[in-house]
Amino acid sequence: MKTKTNNQGKKLHRGRRIFLGIVLLILVSSAGSLGYFQFAPPEQTCLSCHEIQDAYDRWHTSTHREVGCKACHGGSLTSGIHGLVENAQRVIGHFNEASLGDIALSETQVVRMQQACRVCHASEFAAWQTGGHAATYADIFLDASHNEAEQPNNDCLRCHGMFFAGRISDLVTPVSTEGPWSLIESTRHDWPTIPCLACHEVHRPGPLARETKEKASDDTVTESVFAVSFYDRHEKMHFAADILPEPQLTWQGQPVSVSTDTRQRVCVQCHAPESSEHAGTSDDKTPRGVHEGLSCLACHQAHTNRADQSCAQCHPALSNCGLDVTKMDTTFVNAESPHDIHTVACADCHTVGVPSP
Amino acid sequence: MNRTGSGIRLSRRDFLAGAGLGTGMLLMGWGCAQRSAAQPWQVLTDPEARLLEAMTEQIIPADQDPGARDAGCIHFIDRQLAGFYRTHVETYRQGLIGVDQTSQVLYGKDFLACAWDEQTEVMKRLESGQAQGAIWQEISSRQFFNLVRDHTMQAFYGSPRHGGNRHYVSYRMLGLDYPQIVGQNRYRDI
Amino acid sequence: MANKHVNAIVVGAGAGGGVVAKELSEAGLTVVLFERGRWQDYEDHDHDELISQRITALGNAFGPDNERYRRVAQRGDKWVTVPPNEWAYNNNAACMGGGTLSYGAMAWRFMPQDFRMKSTYGELAGSTLADWPLTYEDLEPYYEKAEWEIGVSGDDSQNPFAPPRRKPQPMPPFPFNTEGRVLKAAALRLGYHPFPLPMLRNSVSYGGRPKCRRCRHCVGFACAVNAKCGTQNTVIPQALATGNCEVRTQSVVAEILFDDRGRATGVAYFDAQDQGQIQTADLVVVAGSATESARLLLNSKHRLFPQGAGNNHDWVGRNLQGHAYTGAYGLFPEVMYDDIGAGATVGLCDFNHGNEGLKGGGMLANEFIRLPYLFTDRRPPGSARWGLAHKDFQRRQFKHLTSVKGPVQEMPVFDARVEIDPVVKDHWGIPVARLSGSRHEHDVEIGHFLADKAEQLLKEAGATQTWKAPPGMGLSGGQHQAGTCRMGDDPATSVTNRYGQLHEIDNLFVADGSLHVTNGGFNPVLTIMALGYWVSDYIKKEWQSSRLRS
Repeated sequence: MKTKTNNQGKKLHRGRRIFLGIVLLILVSSAGSLGYFQFAPPEQTCLSCHEIQDAYDRWHTSTHREVGCKACHGGSLTSGIHGLVENAQRVIGHFNEASLGDIALSETQVVRMQQACRVCHASEFAAWQTGGHAATYADIFLDASHNEAEQPNNDCLRCHGMFFAGRISDLVTPVSTEGPWSLIESTRHDWPTIPCLACHEVHRPGPLARETKEKASDDTVTESVFAVSFYDRHEKMHFAADILPEPQLTWQGQPVSVSTDTRQRVCVQCHAPESSEHAGTSDDKTPRGVHEGLSCLACHQAHTNRADQSCAQCHPALSNCGLDVTKMDTTFVNAESPHDIHTVACADCHTVGVPSP
Repeated sequence: MNRTGSGIRLSRRDFLAGAGLGTGMLLMGWGCAQRSAAQPWQVLTDPEARLLEAMTEQIIPADQDPGARDAGCIHFIDRQLAGFYRTHVETYRQGLIGVDQTSQVLYGKDFLACAWDEQTEVMKRLESGQAQGAIWQEISSRQFFNLVRDHTMQAFYGSPRHGGNRHYVSYRMLGLDYPQIVGQNRYRDI
Repeated sequence: MANKHVNAIVVGAGAGGGVVAKELSEAGLTVVLFERGRWQDYEDHDHDELISQRITALGNAFGPDNERYRRVAQRGDKWVTVPPNEWAYNNNAACMGGGTLSYGAMAWRFMPQDFRMKSTYGELAGSTLADWPLTYEDLEPYYEKAEWEIGVSGDDSQNPFAPPRRKPQPMPPFPFNTEGRVLKAAALRLGYHPFPLPMLRNSVSYGGRPKCRRCRHCVGFACAVNAKCGTQNTVIPQALATGNCEVRTQSVVAEILFDDRGRATGVAYFDAQDQGQIQTADLVVVAGSATESARLLLNSKHRLFPQGAGNNHDWVGRNLQGHAYTGAYGLFPEVMYDDIGAGATVGLCDFNHGNEGLKGGGMLANEFIRLPYLFTDRRPPGSARWGLAHKDFQRRQFKHLTSVKGPVQEMPVFDARVEIDPVVKDHWGIPVARLSGSRHEHDVEIGHFLADKAEQLLKEAGATQTWKAPPGMGLSGGQHQAGTCRMGDDPATSVTNRYGQLHEIDNLFVADGSLHVTNGGFNPVLTIMALGYWVSDYIKKEWQSSRLRS
C-alpha cells in the first residue's frame, strides 16, 4: 500500500518534472528572446518584421531618430499586454499572409508616452498642462451644458479622445441629451483628450530634434512647420500641416483673407466652420474685421493657448479711438461682447463710416 | 536534498535547451529580416510586383501630379491579395505571365524591357481582349485588364489606409480637402 | 434553455420591422426583434469609400459579409453564385436599422396615382400591373406618423404635385447647394416646379439628436453625428425603452414554424454562436426586405402549403421590382461641386405622371456627392478608361460634373422573381435565394423619356457637354427591392390582404417593401415605414379583440 503510493508519487513526480521542464524551457527561451528584443538595436529586432519597414523608414529620417523605438512603443519587456498581443498577432499574421497595417500605439501607450515626451520637452509639457488643450475626459464628455444641448456622438472623438479605441457608446453613457452622464471606464476620468500626439507626429521627417533644440532660444519648436500635424483617428495617421487643406472662408459673400501660416491649418481642423465655410459658423475663430489675416498663433501661445498678453505685442494700451484695449472683453466666451477679438470691425462702432485719423 | 539537486539539474538542462531554442528563434528572426530586405511583398513575388507596378503606372501615369507608382498602388494590390482579394491571386499570377507573353509576341521582350509606348500598346491589346499569348486561351485578357484597371483606380482614389493613395495624393489632385474641414455643431448654434 | 414564449416575433430590424417592434411593444405586447446583423455605427466604417454601401469594392460596410452569405443569380443562361458585395446579389444592408443606417434618406410619400396604377393607366401586356388594395388616403395618417416619429425635413408646399397632407413635415428643408440653386433656376425657366428634397435627416436638432453638419459622406455611410434618422436611432430605442422588446442580433431566422392547423407558432433560428434555437410566439411579422422575406416564406413549408407559406397560388417571390435608375450627366464650365453634403438637394415631380403615352414616370433630383473612385466611371461614352486622358478628365472635371437622376416606377413582371436555389446553401445550411427575370420593356421606354428630360434640364442649366444614362433590361432589386409578397383582396393573385396578413395564415404578417403592389417613382423607404405603422395598427386591433391570441 505504502510502496504503491510511493511508486505513484514517483511517477507523478517524474511527470511533474517533465512538465516543469517544459514550462521552464518555454519561459527561459521566451525570456531570452524577449530580452534580446528588449536590448538589441531596432535593425536587428523590431525591423525583422518587414511589415513595419515603412514606419521604420519614417522614423529613421525623422527629427526623433535618436529616440529609440522603446521610448514610445515600449520594449518587449515593457510594452505591456497590448504590445505583446500585437506582436503575437503580427507573427501569426505574417505566416497566414493576413494583411497587417502599421503598428499603432494603444491609448494607454499614448498617455504613458507623454512622460517620455516630457523628458526633453519639459517647458512645452508644462505649458500644455496649464491650457485648455489639457482637457480631460471628464471635462469634455461629462459636460452637462454640452450634453443637454447635443448628445455625445462619434464625431466628438475626432478632436477629443482621438486615440480612444471604440465608439462613443463604449466611452460615455447614456448617449442622449438626458443625463446624468458617466464614463464607462472611470480610469479614463483624468486622462487627457488632446495628448501630445494629437498635434505632433514623432515620425515626422526633419532635422534632428537635438540640433534644432540647441539652437532654440525659446519656444522655437512651435515655429517649425514640421512640428505640427493633425492626427486623423480613422486613417490612424498624422497629416502634416503643410498637406492639410486651407479653409476658403467667406463672410457676407466676400472672401475672408486667411493667414498663410501653415500651422494654423491644424487649428482649423477642430476649430472649424460648417461645411459651407462661412466664417464664424460652428467653432470657426478665424479672425476677420480689424484682425483679419492674423494667424491664431499671432496671439495664442502654442501650448498654453493663452492670448491675454498678446495685445501689447502690437498695440499701445489706447486704441486709435482712445479706448483702453486692456479693459475690453475681447474673448468669444461672452456672445454679447462687442469686442470679440476674432470679429471686431471698425464698423461695429463707427456705423456711419470710419473717421479719418 | 536529493530532490533539490535533481531540480537544479533539470533547470540547468532547461537553461541549455532554452538558450538553444532562443538562439534558434533569433536565427529565424534574423533570416526573416534578411529575406524581408529583398522581399517587401505579402503575396506577390518581386518580379511580379515590378511588372504589375509598371502596369499600374500605365493606367495612372505621373504627369504634373503623382501617378500610380508614386501613390503606392502596388502596395494596395499586394495587401488586398492577402486579404479581401485573395480569390484573385491565381488570376494575377496567370495574368502577369500572360502580359509578358503578349509583349514577347509583339516586341520580342518582356513588358518591363519595353519602352513606354510599347507598354501602352500591350495594355491596349489586353484591354481589347485580342492579346496574343498562350495564357489568354485560358483566361480573358480583357477581364484581367479590367481587374488590374479597377484595382489600380481603387488604390489611387480610395483611402490610404488600404495601402495606396499615399498622403491622399489623388484627393489633392482633385482639389478635394482631406481631412475635410467641417464643424461640429457647437451647442450655442443649435 | 428554452426561450420564453412571447406575443410577437419581428424578423428584420429595418425600416418596416423597426416600426412594428416599437408599435407592438408600446401596445403592451412582448416582442423579440430578430436581426441577422448587429448594432453598427460610424465607428465601424467611417468615410472609407471602398467599404460603404454604395461602393462595395472591399465589402459591404454594414453587411451582409462575403464569408457567410450567398445568392444565386442568372447570368445569360447560367446560374452563378454571387457574394453580397457584387451587384447581382441585389443587396440591402444587414445591421440594426437595415438600410436606414446608411441610406441617402430621401423621404417621399407616394402619390395617389401610385396606389392606383391599373385604374389610371389600364392593362399592360407582360405586366401584372394592379391597384393597391389601399389608397393614399388610407395611408396618409401613417405617413404623417412616420414623418414625425422618425423625423423628416422638407417643405411639400413648394411641390405642387405633392399629395394632400394634414400636417407639414416636422423640420424645415435643407438649403440648396450650388447644384440645387443652378438646377432650380433652370427648371423654373423651363416651366417646371423644383423644390427642396424631403429627407429623413435632421435640418435642425430633432429627437434629441443634432442637426446635420452637411459633410461629404452621406449615402452609403453611417452618420458621424447621428443626424440621419433611421429606425436604429429612433423607433428601435423606443421599443427597447418599453421593456417589452428584446433585440436578438446576429440571429438568422431559418424558417417559420407551424402547428398542425398551419398557424405560426414561432421561428427556428441560429443565434450569434451559430446554435440552432427555437423562439415561440403568438404571431410572427416578417420584415426582411423583398428578397429575404420571400426566401423565408418559401423556406417555411407545411403539409397545408408544401410550396412555402402563403405560396399555394405561386405568388410569393413574384413581381420583384426595384427602380430602373435613369438620368443624364452634364459638364459645366463653372465649378458645381461645393463640398456641401449630402449633395442631393433639389427635385421635381413634373414627370411622375401624365406623360404622353407612358404609364407613369418618376421624380428627378440632383445626385448625391460622388466620391473620387465612383467618379472614375463617370465618363461620356467613348472616353478613355485609363491612361493620361482618364486621369486628366478626373482632375479637370471632378468639380464640374452634375447629374440629374431618378427612379422609374417599374411595371411589375410576374417572372422577375425570388426562388429558393435547389443546391446552394449559406453558412448555416439554409437554402439561398435565387434571382431571375428582367424588367418590363416599358421601364426602359420611361427611362429614355426621363433621361431626355434630365438632359434638357442640364443643358438649360448651362452644361456644355451632356450624355444620358438610360436603364437596360436587367433585373431590379437592390436597396429599393419590393413587390415579392404583394398585398391584394384576391387570395388567388396576392400573398397578403390589405393589412399585410397572409391570406392563408392569420397570425403571420409581412411588413416591408415586399407588400408593394407597385413601387412608386420614388425612393420607397417612407412608404415602408408608413406600412409598418399601418400593419401594426391592424395587429393591435386584432390583438385587443383577442383573435390573434393562441
